[in-house]
Amino acid sequence: MQISTRTSNDVDIVAIAGSLDSTTAPEAQKALDAVVAVARKVALDFSGLDYISSAGLRVLLGAAKKLRASGQSLRIFGLNQSVREVFEISGFSAILAVYPSEAEALAAR
Amino acid sequence: MRHGFRMSIGAHPGGVGDVNAAFAAFADTHALPADVRRSINVALDELLANALSHGGAGRDPCSVTVEVKLDEERVTVILTDDGPPFDPFARVAPDTTLSVEERPVGGLGIHLVRELMDHVSYERREGHNVVVLVKQLVVG
Repeated sequence: MQISTRTSNDVDIVAIAGSLDSTTAPEAQKALDAVVAVARKVALDFSGLDYISSAGLRVLLGAAKKLRASGQSLRIFGLNQSVREVFEISGFSAILAVYPSEAEALAAR
Repeated sequence: MRHGFRMSIGAHPGGVGDVNAAFAAFADTHALPADVRRSINVALDELLANALSHGGAGRDPCSVTVEVKLDEERVTVILTDDGPPFDPFARVAPDTTLSVEERPVGGLGIHLVRELMDHVSYERREGHNVVVLVKQLVVG
């Protein structure tokens, strides 16, 4: 797994590439916690993400709950077909803000 | 043609990563479709993390063997461990309609395995838990 962060206007974008599973979830959680603690608007770039398991979903859920507490949503874009399928099976596509493109994720209020 | 590999990973949590790496290499060698490979990677992660981590399902970590078989029609994964009897598929499916605030953290892994695989089974055989996963290769 590789994690990188960038900022576009007032949105902090965290790109997670490779696999987000039980092996990599602790590192992803640490990185995401650090961003969520100080950022108002957070987007996840999944365009390089190969697959995600429930350990990864738990990390996303934790971050989404923290952002929700401050009135924000966790924006996610760039899902491949497999990640999209896991989101749909788990019901996460209904509770997280998934966008078809980076532009739409950043434009969302 | 039939292909496959088998590996024992003991009881350490790092074994999950070893299996996923070995399976990724196998999938690459045999040009498995990406969606098939990814679904199996997820299923392996769910079941192995469960077996290898303390308290994942309220049981001690145990020694696990993973066997992967490939033929023209399907990929079959057989997970064998020497832990006390435990049927991972006996759990009730979680409520995936709850909102983000209502949802308890966790409980989704086995649900994902069931849905991503075409067939799952469990049996207790000669003092071992044997879980079999089947993923059909897309035909045509």
